[in-house]
Amino acid sequence: MALNQQLYDAVLNGDAKKAHAATVAAIAEGDAPMELIQESMVPAMKEVGRLFECEEYFVPELLLAARAMKSAMELLKPLLVASGQRMAVRVVIGTVKGDLHDIGKNIVASMLEGSGFEVIDLGTDVSPQSFVAAVEQRKPHVVCMSALLTVTMPAMKTTIDALQTAGLRTQVKVLIGGAPVTSQYAREIGADGYSENANAAVGLVKNLLAGEAA
Amino acid sequence: MRMPVGADLVLHEEPDPESVRNIGPALGRVIERTARRWNTPLAIPLMDLRLEKFDLLARIGVSARDADAFHFTAPLDDPTLATLCAAVAGSSCPGSTARDEALQYIASIPGLFPIGMAIGPFSLVTRLMADPISAAAMAGRGQAPEDSEDVRILFQCLQVAEAAIHRSVRSQIAHGARAIMICEPAANTSFLSPRQLKSGSSIFERLVIEPNLRLKAVLDKGPCDLIFHDCGELIDPMVEAFAHRLHPVILSLGGSRKLWEDARLVPGDVVLYGNLPTKSFYSDGAMPIEEVVRRTGELLANMKACGHPHILGSECDVLSVPEARDTILKKVDAMMAVTAPADLARSS
Repeated sequence: MALNQQLYDAVLNGDAKKAHAATVAAIAEGDAPMELIQESMVPAMKEVGRLFECEEYFVPELLLAARAMKSAMELLKPLLVASGQRMAVRVVIGTVKGDLHDIGKNIVASMLEGSGFEVIDLGTDVSPQSFVAAVEQRKPHVVCMSALLTVTMPAMKTTIDALQTAGLRTQVKVLIGGAPVTSQYAREIGADGYSENANAAVGLVKNLLAGEAA
Repeated sequence: MRMPVGADLVLHEEPDPESVRNIGPALGRVIERTARRWNTPLAIPLMDLRLEKFDLLARIGVSARDADAFHFTAPLDDPTLATLCAAVAGSSCPGSTARDEALQYIASIPGLFPIGMAIGPFSLVTRLMADPISAAAMAGRGQAPEDSEDVRILFQCLQVAEAAIHRSVRSQIAHGARAIMICEPAANTSFLSPRQLKSGSSIFERLVIEPNLRLKAVLDKGPCDLIFHDCGELIDPMVEAFAHRLHPVILSLGGSRKLWEDARLVPGDVVLYGNLPTKSFYSDGAMPIEEVVRRTGELLANMKACGHPHILGSECDVLSVPEARDTILKKVDAMMAVTAPADLARSS
Protein backbone atom coordinates (compact mmCIF):
# COMPACT_ATOMS: atom_id res chain seq x y z
CA MET A 1 0.00 0.00 0.00
CA ALA A 2 1.31 3.49 -0.84
CA LEU A 3 2.57 5.46 2.13
CA ASN A 4 0.12 8.30 1.61
CA GLN A 5 -2.72 5.76 1.62
CA GLN A 6 -1.30 4.25 4.82
CA LEU A 7 -1.24 7.70 6.38
CA TYR A 8 -4.81 8.35 5.21
CA ASP A 9 -6.00 5.05 6.72
CA ALA A 10 -4.12 5.60 9.96
CA VAL A 11 -5.75 9.01 10.48
CA LEU A 12 -9.17 7.72 9.46
CA ASN A 13 -8.87 4.83 11.91
CA GLY A 14 -7.40 6.99 14.65
CA ASP A 15 -4.21 4.99 14.90
CA ALA A 16 -1.51 7.40 16.08
CA LYS A 17 1.30 4.84 16.02
CA LYS A 18 0.63 3.90 12.40
CA ALA A 19 0.23 7.56 11.42
CA HIS A 20 3.59 8.32 12.98
CA ALA A 21 5.25 5.36 11.28
CA ALA A 22 3.75 6.15 7.88
CA THR A 23 4.89 9.77 8.16
CA VAL A 24 8.43 8.79 9.13
CA ALA A 25 8.56 6.49 6.13
CA ALA A 26 7.09 9.10 3.78
CA ILE A 27 9.59 11.72 4.91
CA ALA A 28 12.41 9.23 4.41
CA GLU A 29 11.18 8.67 0.87
CA GLY A 30 11.27 12.40 0.24
CA ASP A 31 7.54 13.13 0.15
CA ALA A 32 6.76 16.83 0.52
CA PRO A 33 5.27 17.66 3.94
CA MET A 34 2.56 19.96 2.58
CA GLU A 35 1.58 17.30 0.08
CA LEU A 36 1.19 14.72 2.85
CA ILE A 37 -1.00 17.12 4.76
CA GLN A 38 -3.15 18.22 1.86
CA GLU A 39 -3.43 14.90 0.02
CA SER A 40 -3.59 12.39 2.86
CA MET A 41 -4.33 13.94 6.20
CA VAL A 42 -6.85 16.65 5.38
CA PRO A 43 -8.94 14.28 3.18
CA ALA A 44 -8.83 11.70 5.97
CA MET A 45 -10.11 14.24 8.47
CA LYS A 46 -12.76 15.30 5.98
CA GLU A 47 -13.95 11.71 5.81
CA VAL A 48 -13.86 11.51 9.61
CA GLY A 49 -16.13 14.56 9.66
CA ARG A 50 -18.50 12.96 7.18
CA LEU A 51 -18.70 9.79 9.25
CA PHE A 52 -19.39 11.93 12.32
CA GLU A 53 -22.22 13.75 10.56
CA CYS A 54 -23.88 10.46 9.61
CA GLU A 55 -23.42 9.16 13.17
CA GLU A 56 -21.05 6.36 12.30
CA TYR A 57 -18.30 8.14 14.22
CA PHE A 58 -18.72 9.89 17.55
CA VAL A 59 -16.59 12.29 19.57
CA PRO A 60 -14.15 9.56 20.71
CA GLU A 61 -13.45 8.58 17.09
CA LEU A 62 -12.99 12.26 16.19
CA LEU A 63 -10.46 12.67 18.94
CA LEU A 64 -8.51 9.55 18.07
CA ALA A 65 -8.34 10.69 14.45
CA ALA A 66 -7.20 14.15 15.53
CA ARG A 67 -4.60 12.55 17.78
CA ALA A 68 -3.30 10.47 14.86
CA MET A 69 -3.16 13.60 12.73
CA LYS A 70 -1.29 15.40 15.48
CA SER A 71 1.30 12.65 15.78
CA ALA A 72 2.03 13.07 12.08
CA MET A 73 1.93 16.87 12.26
CA GLU A 74 4.55 16.89 15.01
CA LEU A 75 6.95 15.35 12.51
CA LEU A 76 5.92 17.61 9.66
CA LYS A 77 5.74 20.99 11.42
CA PRO A 78 9.52 21.48 11.80
CA LEU A 79 9.96 20.64 8.13
CA LEU A 80 7.29 23.16 7.15
CA VAL A 81 8.92 25.83 9.28
CA ALA A 82 12.34 25.04 7.81
CA SER A 83 10.97 25.40 4.30
CA GLY A 84 9.23 28.69 5.13
CA GLN A 85 5.76 27.26 4.71
CA ARG A 86 2.95 27.78 7.22
CA MET A 87 -0.67 26.83 7.63
CA ALA A 88 -2.98 29.27 5.88
CA VAL A 89 -5.46 29.88 8.69
CA ARG A 90 -4.68 30.72 12.31
CA VAL A 91 -7.23 30.25 15.09
CA VAL A 92 -7.07 31.41 18.69
CA ILE A 93 -9.18 29.34 21.05
CA GLY A 94 -9.96 29.40 24.76
CA THR A 95 -12.51 28.79 27.47
CA VAL A 96 -13.78 32.09 28.80
CA LYS A 97 -13.03 33.80 32.10
CA GLY A 98 -14.40 31.99 35.14
CA ASP A 99 -14.84 28.67 33.33
CA LEU A 100 -12.32 25.87 33.84
CA HIS A 101 -13.91 23.30 31.56
CA ASP A 102 -11.57 22.34 28.79
CA ILE A 103 -12.74 19.11 27.22
CA GLY A 104 -15.11 20.67 24.68
CA LYS A 105 -12.57 23.34 23.84
CA ASN A 106 -9.86 20.68 23.43
CA ILE A 107 -12.03 18.68 21.06
CA VAL A 108 -12.66 21.71 18.87
CA ALA A 109 -8.96 22.62 18.97
CA SER A 110 -7.98 19.08 17.95
CA MET A 111 -10.45 19.02 15.10
CA LEU A 112 -9.34 22.42 13.82
CA GLU A 113 -5.71 21.38 14.00
CA GLY A 114 -6.58 18.09 12.39
CA SER A 115 -8.18 19.99 9.55
CA GLY A 116 -5.00 21.84 8.78
CA PHE A 117 -5.45 25.06 10.76
CA GLU A 118 -2.83 26.54 13.03
CA VAL A 119 -4.37 26.58 16.51
CA ILE A 120 -3.23 28.74 19.39
CA ASP A 121 -4.83 27.34 22.53
CA LEU A 122 -5.02 29.89 25.33
CA GLY A 123 -6.38 27.30 27.79
CA THR A 124 -9.19 27.83 30.28
CA ASP A 125 -10.33 30.77 32.41
CA VAL A 126 -9.08 33.16 29.72
CA SER A 127 -9.73 36.80 30.46
CA PRO A 128 -11.03 39.19 27.81
CA GLN A 129 -7.67 40.99 28.07
CA SER A 130 -5.82 37.77 27.23
CA PHE A 131 -7.99 37.20 24.16
CA VAL A 132 -7.35 40.79 23.08
CA ALA A 133 -3.60 40.38 23.62
CA ALA A 134 -3.58 37.15 21.61
CA VAL A 135 -5.40 38.81 18.72
CA GLU A 136 -3.00 41.75 18.80
CA GLN A 137 0.11 39.64 18.93
CA ARG A 138 -0.74 36.50 16.98
CA LYS A 139 -3.05 38.03 14.38
CA PRO A 140 -5.46 35.09 14.02
CA HIS A 141 -8.21 34.92 11.45
CA VAL A 142 -10.65 33.42 13.93
CA VAL A 143 -11.27 33.51 17.68
CA CYS A 144 -13.18 30.59 19.20
CA MET A 145 -14.64 30.86 22.69
CA SER A 146 -16.08 28.07 24.78
CA ALA A 147 -18.24 28.09 27.93
CA LEU A 148 -19.88 25.14 29.63
CA LEU A 149 -21.82 27.00 32.25
CA THR A 150 -24.70 29.42 31.97
CA VAL A 151 -22.99 31.51 34.63
CA THR A 152 -19.83 31.98 32.56
CA MET A 153 -21.50 32.63 29.21
CA PRO A 154 -21.69 36.40 29.79
CA ALA A 155 -17.87 36.46 29.59
CA MET A 156 -18.26 35.75 25.87
CA LYS A 157 -20.01 39.06 25.41
CA THR A 158 -17.47 40.82 27.62
CA THR A 159 -14.70 39.44 25.42
CA ILE A 160 -16.41 40.53 22.21
CA ASP A 161 -16.90 43.98 23.72
CA ALA A 162 -13.21 44.06 24.68
CA LEU A 163 -12.20 43.20 21.11
CA GLN A 164 -14.48 45.98 19.92
CA THR A 165 -13.02 48.50 22.36
CA ALA A 166 -9.50 47.53 21.30
CA GLY A 167 -10.43 48.16 17.68
CA LEU A 168 -9.81 44.52 16.77
CA ARG A 169 -13.30 43.18 16.29
CA THR A 170 -13.38 43.60 12.52
CA GLN A 171 -10.04 41.83 12.12
CA VAL A 172 -11.30 38.47 13.33
CA LYS A 173 -14.30 36.20 13.06
CA VAL A 174 -15.63 35.22 16.48
CA LEU A 175 -17.18 31.80 16.99
CA ILE A 176 -18.74 30.55 20.20
CA GLY A 177 -19.81 27.16 21.50
CA GLY A 178 -20.56 25.13 24.61
CA ALA A 179 -23.46 23.28 26.17
CA PRO A 180 -25.72 26.21 27.08
CA VAL A 181 -24.86 28.35 24.05
CA THR A 182 -27.27 28.77 21.15
CA SER A 183 -27.20 30.46 17.75
CA GLN A 184 -29.70 32.94 19.16
CA TYR A 185 -27.24 33.82 21.93
CA ALA A 186 -24.45 34.18 19.36
CA ARG A 187 -26.55 36.72 17.49
CA GLU A 188 -27.50 38.54 20.68
CA ILE A 189 -23.89 39.11 21.72
CA GLY A 190 -22.56 39.91 18.26
CA ALA A 191 -20.59 36.75 17.53
CA ASP A 192 -20.15 35.71 13.91
CA GLY A 193 -21.23 32.15 14.46
CA TYR A 194 -22.14 29.33 16.78
CA SER A 195 -21.37 25.68 16.44
CA GLU A 196 -22.98 22.86 18.36
CA ASN A 197 -20.13 20.42 17.84
CA ALA A 198 -16.47 20.22 16.91
CA ASN A 199 -17.00 18.95 13.41
CA ALA A 200 -19.48 21.70 12.60
CA ALA A 201 -16.99 24.21 14.00
CA VAL A 202 -14.50 23.20 11.32
CA GLY A 203 -17.10 23.72 8.60
CA LEU A 204 -18.15 27.02 10.12
CA VAL A 205 -14.60 28.37 10.18
CA LYS A 206 -14.17 27.39 6.53
CA ASN A 207 -17.49 28.92 5.53
CA LEU A 208 -16.89 32.16 7.39
CA LEU A 209 -13.46 32.60 5.87
CA ALA A 210 -14.71 31.62 2.43
CA GLY A 211 -17.46 34.22 2.79
CA GLU A 212 -14.88 36.80 3.72
CA ALA A 213 -12.74 35.91 0.74
CA ALA A 214 -15.67 35.98 -1.70
CA MET B 1 -44.60 15.82 43.20
CA ARG B 2 -42.49 18.50 41.55
CA MET B 3 -39.30 20.38 42.36
CA PRO B 4 -36.29 21.87 40.60
CA VAL B 5 -32.71 21.23 41.68
CA GLY B 6 -32.79 24.83 42.77
CA ALA B 7 -30.52 25.39 45.77
CA ASP B 8 -28.13 27.55 43.73
CA LEU B 9 -30.98 29.94 42.90
CA VAL B 10 -31.85 30.30 46.57
CA LEU B 11 -28.18 30.52 47.58
CA HIS B 12 -27.83 33.59 45.40
CA GLU B 13 -30.49 35.39 47.42
CA GLU B 14 -27.85 35.55 50.16
CA PRO B 15 -25.78 38.74 50.42
CA ASP B 16 -22.55 36.71 50.18
CA PRO B 17 -23.34 33.39 48.48
CA GLU B 18 -19.73 32.26 48.21
CA SER B 19 -19.24 32.41 51.99
CA VAL B 20 -22.48 30.54 52.63
CA ARG B 21 -21.17 27.63 50.56
CA ASN B 22 -18.61 27.07 53.30
CA ILE B 23 -20.77 27.57 56.40
CA GLY B 24 -22.70 24.42 57.28
CA PRO B 25 -25.70 25.78 59.21
CA ALA B 26 -26.16 28.69 56.79
CA LEU B 27 -25.97 26.32 53.84
CA GLY B 28 -28.45 24.03 55.61
CA ARG B 29 -30.89 26.92 55.93
CA VAL B 30 -30.53 27.63 52.20
CA ILE B 31 -31.35 24.00 51.41
CA GLU B 32 -34.29 24.09 53.81
CA ARG B 33 -35.58 27.30 52.17
CA THR B 34 -35.20 25.69 48.76
CA ALA B 35 -37.38 22.74 49.79
CA ARG B 36 -39.97 25.05 51.42
CA ARG B 37 -40.01 27.38 48.44
CA TRP B 38 -41.02 24.65 46.06
CA ASN B 39 -43.05 22.79 48.63
CA THR B 40 -41.20 19.50 48.62
CA PRO B 41 -39.95 17.29 51.46
CA LEU B 42 -36.89 16.35 49.38
CA ALA B 43 -34.02 18.54 50.52
CA ILE B 44 -31.69 18.54 47.54
CA PRO B 45 -28.38 20.30 48.19
CA LEU B 46 -26.12 22.29 45.91
CA MET B 47 -24.79 20.29 42.99
CA ASP B 48 -21.17 21.21 43.63
CA LEU B 49 -19.30 18.49 41.80
CA ARG B 50 -15.87 19.90 42.62
CA LEU B 51 -15.75 18.85 46.25
CA GLU B 52 -14.54 15.26 45.89
CA LYS B 53 -11.73 16.42 43.60
CA PHE B 54 -10.70 19.10 46.10
CA ASP B 55 -10.59 16.58 48.96
CA LEU B 56 -8.81 13.97 46.88
CA LEU B 57 -6.05 16.25 45.66
CA ALA B 58 -5.57 17.83 49.07
CA ARG B 59 -4.09 14.48 50.08
CA ILE B 60 -1.15 15.10 47.79
CA GLY B 61 -0.80 18.76 48.61
CA VAL B 62 -2.75 20.31 45.74
CA SER B 63 -4.69 23.29 47.06
CA ALA B 64 -8.38 23.79 46.28
CA ARG B 65 -7.33 26.87 44.33
CA ASP B 66 -5.21 24.74 41.99
CA ALA B 67 -7.36 21.61 42.04
CA ASP B 68 -9.88 22.67 39.39
CA ALA B 69 -7.25 22.88 36.68
CA PHE B 70 -5.13 19.98 37.93
CA HIS B 71 -4.74 16.87 35.75
CA PHE B 72 -2.65 13.75 36.16
CA THR B 73 -0.31 13.66 33.19
CA ALA B 74 1.84 10.67 34.14
CA PRO B 75 1.11 7.32 35.78
CA LEU B 76 0.84 7.54 39.54
CA ASP B 77 3.51 5.86 41.63
CA ASP B 78 2.55 3.37 44.34
CA PRO B 79 2.94 5.69 47.34
CA THR B 80 0.77 8.36 45.67
CA LEU B 81 -1.86 5.77 44.78
CA ALA B 82 -1.86 4.48 48.36
CA THR B 83 -2.24 8.00 49.75
CA LEU B 84 -5.12 8.80 47.40
CA CYS B 85 -6.88 5.49 47.97
CA ALA B 86 -6.54 5.22 51.74
CA ALA B 87 -9.93 4.61 53.28
CA VAL B 88 -9.20 6.71 56.33
CA ALA B 89 -10.93 10.08 56.23
CA GLY B 90 -8.59 12.99 55.62
CA SER B 91 -9.20 16.65 56.17
CA SER B 92 -12.07 17.98 54.09
CA CYS B 93 -12.25 21.23 52.19
CA PRO B 94 -14.56 23.88 53.66
CA GLY B 95 -17.23 23.11 51.05
CA SER B 96 -17.34 19.41 51.97
CA THR B 97 -17.47 20.16 55.67
CA ALA B 98 -20.30 22.61 55.07
CA ARG B 99 -22.14 20.08 52.89
CA ASP B 100 -21.97 17.51 55.70
CA GLU B 101 -22.98 19.98 58.40
CA ALA B 102 -25.87 21.14 56.24
CA LEU B 103 -27.01 17.53 55.94
CA GLN B 104 -26.91 17.22 59.72
CA TYR B 105 -29.00 20.39 59.98
CA ILE B 106 -31.58 19.10 57.49
CA ALA B 107 -31.70 15.70 59.20
CA SER B 108 -32.76 17.43 62.40
CA ILE B 109 -35.83 19.00 60.77
CA PRO B 110 -38.95 16.82 60.90
CA GLY B 111 -40.63 16.45 57.54
CA LEU B 112 -37.52 17.05 55.43
CA PHE B 113 -35.71 14.19 53.74
CA PRO B 114 -31.93 14.76 53.80
CA ILE B 115 -30.29 14.13 50.44
CA GLY B 116 -26.58 14.09 49.80
CA MET B 117 -24.71 14.82 46.59
CA ALA B 118 -21.56 13.45 44.96
CA ILE B 119 -19.94 13.30 41.57
CA GLY B 120 -19.98 9.85 39.97
CA PRO B 121 -16.73 7.86 39.58
CA PHE B 122 -16.40 8.18 35.83
CA SER B 123 -17.24 11.89 35.86
CA LEU B 124 -14.55 12.46 38.47
CA VAL B 125 -12.09 10.56 36.28
CA THR B 126 -12.84 12.94 33.43
CA ARG B 127 -11.86 15.83 35.71
CA LEU B 128 -8.60 14.20 36.71
CA MET B 129 -7.26 13.79 33.16
CA ALA B 130 -6.63 16.29 30.39
CA ASP B 131 -7.89 13.97 27.66
CA PRO B 132 -10.07 11.27 29.19
CA ILE B 133 -12.02 10.71 25.97
CA SER B 134 -9.08 9.46 23.95
CA ALA B 135 -7.92 7.30 26.84
CA ALA B 136 -11.39 5.77 27.22
CA ALA B 137 -11.59 5.24 23.47
CA MET B 138 -8.23 3.49 23.42
CA ALA B 139 -9.29 1.30 26.33
CA GLY B 140 -12.53 0.65 24.46
CA ARG B 141 -10.46 -0.62 21.53
CA GLY B 142 -8.86 -3.14 23.81
CA GLN B 143 -5.66 -1.36 24.79
CA ALA B 144 -4.57 -2.43 28.27
CA PRO B 145 -2.80 -0.31 30.90
CA GLU B 146 0.41 -2.13 29.95
CA ASP B 147 0.00 -1.05 26.31
CA SER B 148 -0.68 2.62 26.81
CA GLU B 149 0.30 5.20 29.40
CA ASP B 150 -3.02 7.02 28.84
CA VAL B 151 -5.00 3.88 29.55
CA ARG B 152 -2.90 3.24 32.63
CA ILE B 153 -3.60 6.74 33.96
CA LEU B 154 -7.29 6.28 33.14
CA PHE B 155 -7.66 3.20 35.31
CA GLN B 156 -5.51 4.64 38.07
CA CYS B 157 -7.73 7.73 38.07
CA LEU B 158 -10.78 5.48 38.28
CA GLN B 159 -9.28 3.75 41.28
CA VAL B 160 -8.59 7.00 43.14
CA ALA B 161 -11.91 8.52 42.07
CA GLU B 162 -13.82 5.59 43.53
CA ALA B 163 -11.90 5.85 46.78
CA ALA B 164 -12.61 9.59 47.03
CA ILE B 165 -16.31 9.15 46.35
CA HIS B 166 -16.66 6.27 48.79
CA ARG B 167 -15.12 8.48 51.48
CA SER B 168 -17.49 11.29 50.55
CA VAL B 169 -20.68 9.22 50.64
CA ARG B 170 -19.67 7.50 53.89
CA SER B 171 -19.21 10.89 55.47
CA GLN B 172 -22.55 12.14 54.11
CA ILE B 173 -24.33 9.04 55.38
CA ALA B 174 -22.72 9.53 58.77
CA HIS B 175 -24.12 13.08 58.77
CA GLY B 176 -27.64 11.93 58.08
CA ALA B 177 -28.05 11.50 54.31
CA ARG B 178 -30.87 9.07 53.58
CA ALA B 179 -30.41 9.26 49.82
CA ILE B 180 -27.49 10.52 47.76
CA MET B 181 -27.68 11.94 44.27
CA ILE B 182 -24.78 10.53 42.28
CA CYS B 183 -24.09 12.73 39.28
CA GLU B 184 -22.52 11.05 36.25
CA PRO B 185 -22.99 13.65 33.50
CA ALA B 186 -19.82 12.50 31.73
CA ALA B 187 -21.21 9.01 31.17
CA ASN B 188 -22.53 10.02 27.77
CA THR B 189 -22.02 9.56 24.06
CA SER B 190 -19.34 12.25 23.84
CA PHE B 191 -17.09 10.44 26.28
CA LEU B 192 -17.98 6.85 25.44
CA SER B 193 -18.42 5.88 21.82
CA PRO B 194 -21.73 4.26 20.87
CA ARG B 195 -19.82 2.75 17.94
CA GLN B 196 -17.62 0.87 20.38
CA LEU B 197 -20.55 -0.13 22.54
CA LYS B 198 -22.40 -1.46 19.50
CA SER B 199 -19.39 -3.50 18.46
CA GLY B 200 -19.35 -5.24 21.84
CA SER B 201 -16.82 -3.21 23.81
CA SER B 202 -17.17 -3.53 27.57
CA ILE B 203 -15.84 -0.03 28.21
CA PHE B 204 -19.16 1.42 29.44
CA GLU B 205 -19.47 -1.50 31.83
CA ARG B 206 -15.91 -1.13 33.14
CA LEU B 207 -15.82 2.65 33.45
CA VAL B 208 -19.40 3.43 34.46
CA ILE B 209 -21.57 0.52 35.54
CA GLU B 210 -19.10 -1.52 37.60
CA PRO B 211 -17.76 1.48 39.58
CA ASN B 212 -21.31 2.68 40.22
CA LEU B 213 -22.37 -0.80 41.35
CA ARG B 214 -19.50 -0.75 43.84
CA LEU B 215 -20.65 2.70 44.95
CA LYS B 216 -24.22 1.49 45.29
CA ALA B 217 -23.00 -1.31 47.54
CA VAL B 218 -21.52 1.33 49.85
CA LEU B 219 -24.85 3.19 49.84
CA ASP B 220 -26.83 0.01 50.47
CA LYS B 221 -24.67 -0.68 53.48
CA GLY B 222 -25.54 2.83 54.81
CA PRO B 223 -28.43 2.24 54.36
CA CYS B 224 -28.93 5.05 51.90
CA ASP B 225 -30.89 5.26 48.65
CA LEU B 226 -29.31 5.96 45.28
CA ILE B 227 -30.61 8.83 43.17
CA PHE B 228 -28.79 8.62 39.86
CA HIS B 229 -28.40 11.71 37.70
CA ASP B 230 -27.05 11.91 34.18
CA CYS B 231 -27.97 14.91 32.04
CA GLY B 232 -25.61 13.93 29.21
CA GLU B 233 -26.56 12.70 25.75
CA LEU B 234 -27.42 9.03 26.13
CA ILE B 235 -28.38 6.08 24.01
CA ASP B 236 -31.11 3.69 25.11
CA PRO B 237 -28.78 0.90 26.35
CA MET B 238 -27.17 3.42 28.70
CA VAL B 239 -30.54 4.40 30.18
CA GLU B 240 -31.49 0.74 30.49
CA ALA B 241 -28.23 -0.05 32.27
CA PHE B 242 -28.69 2.81 34.72
CA ALA B 243 -32.26 1.78 35.43
CA HIS B 244 -31.91 -1.99 35.61
CA ARG B 245 -28.33 -2.57 36.72
CA LEU B 246 -27.96 0.31 39.17
CA HIS B 247 -31.64 0.28 40.08
CA PRO B 248 -31.77 3.73 41.70
CA VAL B 249 -34.87 4.92 43.53
CA ILE B 250 -34.89 7.95 41.26
CA LEU B 251 -33.36 8.29 37.80
CA SER B 252 -32.78 11.88 36.72
CA LEU B 253 -32.14 12.49 33.02
CA GLY B 254 -31.29 15.46 30.82
CA GLY B 255 -33.59 17.50 28.63
CA SER B 256 -32.66 15.62 25.47
CA ARG B 257 -34.56 12.52 26.65
CA LYS B 258 -38.30 12.03 26.32
CA LEU B 259 -39.14 10.59 29.72
CA TRP B 260 -42.43 9.07 28.61
CA GLU B 261 -40.50 7.08 25.99
CA ASP B 262 -37.76 6.21 28.47
CA ALA B 263 -40.44 4.80 30.78
CA ARG B 264 -40.33 1.68 28.54
CA LEU B 265 -36.69 1.20 29.50
CA VAL B 266 -37.11 1.70 33.22
CA PRO B 267 -38.56 -0.65 35.86
CA GLY B 268 -41.83 0.55 37.37
CA ASP B 269 -40.29 1.07 40.80
CA VAL B 270 -37.68 3.53 39.54
CA VAL B 271 -39.10 7.06 39.65
CA LEU B 272 -38.15 9.22 36.68
CA TYR B 273 -37.14 12.76 37.53
CA GLY B 274 -36.92 15.80 35.31
CA ASN B 275 -36.43 17.05 32.78
CA LEU B 276 -37.31 20.51 31.55
CA PRO B 277 -34.37 22.06 29.64
CA THR B 278 -33.48 24.49 32.40
CA LYS B 279 -30.02 25.15 30.96
CA SER B 280 -31.78 27.24 28.29
CA PHE B 281 -34.00 29.15 30.71
CA TYR B 282 -31.61 32.13 30.75
CA SER B 283 -32.65 33.04 27.22
CA ASP B 284 -36.11 34.24 26.25
CA GLY B 285 -35.15 33.72 22.64
CA ALA B 286 -34.06 30.09 23.01
CA MET B 287 -36.72 29.22 25.58
CA PRO B 288 -39.63 31.64 25.94
CA ILE B 289 -41.86 31.19 28.95
CA GLU B 290 -44.72 30.00 26.73
CA GLU B 291 -42.49 27.16 25.53
CA VAL B 292 -41.63 26.25 29.13
CA VAL B 293 -45.34 26.03 29.92
CA ARG B 294 -46.05 24.04 26.76
CA ARG B 295 -43.25 21.56 27.38
CA THR B 296 -44.20 21.15 31.03
CA GLY B 297 -47.80 20.43 30.08
CA GLU B 298 -46.70 17.97 27.43
CA LEU B 299 -44.38 16.16 29.84
CA LEU B 300 -46.95 15.99 32.62
CA ALA B 301 -49.67 14.75 30.31
CA ASN B 302 -47.48 12.13 28.68
CA MET B 303 -46.12 10.87 31.98
CA LYS B 304 -49.65 10.62 33.30
CA ALA B 305 -50.70 8.72 30.20
CA CYS B 306 -47.82 6.24 30.42
CA GLY B 307 -48.44 5.74 34.13
CA HIS B 308 -44.78 5.72 35.15
CA PRO B 309 -43.95 7.35 38.50
CA HIS B 310 -42.51 10.78 37.81
CA ILE B 311 -41.32 13.87 39.66
CA LEU B 312 -41.46 16.98 37.54
CA GLY B 313 -38.22 18.92 37.66
CA SER B 314 -35.17 20.40 36.02
CA GLU B 315 -32.74 18.61 33.72
CA CYS B 316 -29.86 19.51 36.03
CA ASP B 317 -29.15 22.02 38.76
CA VAL B 318 -30.59 25.42 37.88
CA LEU B 319 -27.73 27.87 38.16
CA SER B 320 -28.23 31.50 39.00
CA VAL B 321 -26.94 33.49 36.02
CA PRO B 322 -26.14 37.04 37.17
CA GLU B 323 -27.87 38.92 34.36
CA ALA B 324 -30.69 36.43 33.85
CA ARG B 325 -31.66 35.45 37.38
CA ASP B 326 -35.18 36.87 37.24
CA THR B 327 -35.78 35.35 33.80
CA ILE B 328 -34.74 31.93 35.07
CA LEU B 329 -36.75 32.16 38.29
CA LYS B 330 -39.86 33.21 36.40
CA LYS B 331 -39.60 30.14 34.20
CA VAL B 332 -38.91 27.78 37.08
CA ASP B 333 -41.99 29.14 38.85
CA ALA B 334 -44.01 28.82 35.64
CA MET B 335 -42.89 25.21 35.28
CA MET B 336 -43.93 24.48 38.85
CA ALA B 337 -47.36 26.01 38.34
CA VAL B 338 -48.43 24.05 35.26
CA THR B 339 -51.12 21.41 35.61
CA ALA B 340 -51.36 18.49 33.18
CA PRO B 341 -53.70 19.31 30.31
CA ALA B 342 -55.39 16.08 29.26
CA ASP B 343 -55.55 17.05 25.61
CA LEU B 344 -51.76 17.22 25.32
CA ALA B 345 -51.27 13.59 26.19
CA ARG B 346 -49.16 11.71 23.63
CA SER B 347 -48.99 14.85 21.56
CA SER B 348 -45.45 14.45 20.33
